[in-house]
Amino acid sequence: MSGNVPPAHEVPALAVRGLRTRLGGRWLHDGVDFTLRRGEVAALIGGSGTGKTVLLRECIGLHQPTEGQVQVLGEDLWQLRGPALNLLRQRFGVLFQEGALFSSLTVAQNVEAPLTEHTSLPRFLRDEVARLRIRMAGLPADAGDKRPAELSGGMKKRAALARALALEPELLFLDEPTSGLDPISARAFDRLLRTLCDSLGMTALLTTHDLDTLWGLVDRVIVLHGGRVIADGPVAEVARVDHEWIRAYFSSHSGARNHGGATHDGT
Amino acid sequence: MADTPQLRLERGEDGPVLYLGGDWRLPFLLDIRTALAFLPSLEADAGLVVDGSGLADLDSAAARVLMSGLLDHGLAWEQVRVAGFSTQRQALLALVAECLAAEAQEGGGTQSWLGRLGGSAVVVLNGARSWLAFLGQTGEALGRVAFRPWAWRPRELFGQLENVGLEALAIVGLMTFLVGGVFAHLLGIQIEKYGANIFIVDGVALAMARELAPLLTAILVAGRSGAAFTAQIGAMKVTEEIDAISTLGLSPYQVLVLPRLIAIVIAMPLLTFFGDLLGLLGAAVIAAQQLDITFYTFFTRLREVLPLDSVLYGLYKAPAFAAAIALIACRNGMAVSRDARSVGDFTTTTVVQSLVAVILINAAFALGSADYGL
Repeated sequence: MSGNVPPAHEVPALAVRGLRTRLGGRWLHDGVDFTLRRGEVAALIGGSGTGKTVLLRECIGLHQPTEGQVQVLGEDLWQLRGPALNLLRQRFGVLFQEGALFSSLTVAQNVEAPLTEHTSLPRFLRDEVARLRIRMAGLPADAGDKRPAELSGGMKKRAALARALALEPELLFLDEPTSGLDPISARAFDRLLRTLCDSLGMTALLTTHDLDTLWGLVDRVIVLHGGRVIADGPVAEVARVDHEWIRAYFSSHSGARNHGGATHDGT
Repeated sequence: MADTPQLRLERGEDGPVLYLGGDWRLPFLLDIRTALAFLPSLEADAGLVVDGSGLADLDSAAARVLMSGLLDHGLAWEQVRVAGFSTQRQALLALVAECLAAEAQEGGGTQSWLGRLGGSAVVVLNGARSWLAFLGQTGEALGRVAFRPWAWRPRELFGQLENVGLEALAIVGLMTFLVGGVFAHLLGIQIEKYGANIFIVDGVALAMARELAPLLTAILVAGRSGAAFTAQIGAMKVTEEIDAISTLGLSPYQVLVLPRLIAIVIAMPLLTFFGDLLGLLGAAVIAAQQLDITFYTFFTRLREVLPLDSVLYGLYKAPAFAAAIALIACRNGMAVSRDARSVGDFTTTTVVQSLVAVILINAAFALGSADYGL
């Protein structure tokens, strides 16, 4: 899809440069660098406590890094203030780990909330867009009238995805999109995400612990360890990197399995 | 940089061609929708080619509006041929068309007024049913422990007694003292004109014992403890603690509802009596200031003119108020659904419903004893 994008779109979707974060008296990130091209789906992996979620929060403007630069869609996120920052925020979507749906609104109202706030569309068009988003996220139409509390875990994630997609973002951040889902729903969610990214031309950065998501969904894996990026590339390549943690990670799935032809023998 | 969306219909060699141009994106949906509505009529069988080669941008919302706009002209997207779209935009169109088709298959969900009326009726009936269920459950729990006081969960009961009774003493005392004083003051102004100063005791005593103290106490308890009950039980419902109680083999009605019900039924008459005393004290203070009636005269006269029946009448009402407040509060707490707003909604409902209930019960008592000899 890179053949026909206009030149303005050749700015990387996300560029993190020399990022350092001091948290709780130690350096959580000590010089993190990576760049996402447009249309790429990348996963951020790393052990618990390596700061994946913090890094994600730094990319979406919720946690200020101590040093370094985060460029989102060509703009320096932490230099922006006020209206400019809010304009940029309309151009990316975030799927929080627990969905973070507004519990007092119905699903359709949740999806409409960003449309109501940031566009001047009349109601019937907002409804139409909301119905499309709900459908795009793979929910049945009647889910729109339900409250988040009435949804199952998998449906909640989908509803949250529908809200994240509301303004047609160019970039999507997902914090552990498949955690808490059963393997079947998790794979269905992966497929949905892949279809959406491919057909909408969206870039996505997700954190995950799910090996199947890595093999099935993402173009690229970024491994965070000891405050730095220790490996960055396609899954099959990263899985072959000779590093203690990476070997342990990719061999943690017991049972012999063959993921799409790529073999990973972590013995 | 933003380019408004354009739309042009031309007659090509094999049928009409719709040329799209500019930014077909979410902010311009209304323009797109309007432009589509003003298209000259299209003949479905002539076919239509949609040419996207002039598009600067296309997003899924705009694609959806394009498709529904054409559908309004009687053209389903399946009948339309596309030209000049990049592979990625074709994928986008396919995705949106798929969503639209699935939606059409499921059909619209709009309800007629009859359906909505039925829906509302069902909601009301369900509310009534849940009330009955609540009363039944509470009654059953009460029956289970009625003759076994050791099963009344003394720790919880005394905790509630402290909350509902002891901690409310100060505010009940203050309120009744002030209202007693103000009442005596107003009555005093009238009574002085007739030189019937001593009759202030008769008036204040009757009003305080029969109406003011029980009502004031009930209103305070409804706002204070009723709201707290709903919020406590509701929050426990939200965090699934009620489910946890059931899973441990305990009855939430026994553990949560009964201690509150019993505590408030015990505490309310005591608070009311305390209110009687403080209200009369307030009146006595004002009477001494305004009408030169000494405390001694006031309380001697009080013994003569305030029959025990009147005091008891006020105290009999208190448990009825208390039970109504506790039942309404606990029922609303149990009815909280699992989201943050409903706790607030039900807490408000509790205060309103229990105040109305208190006033109604009071009226019923007044009617039932209309022939009291003064």
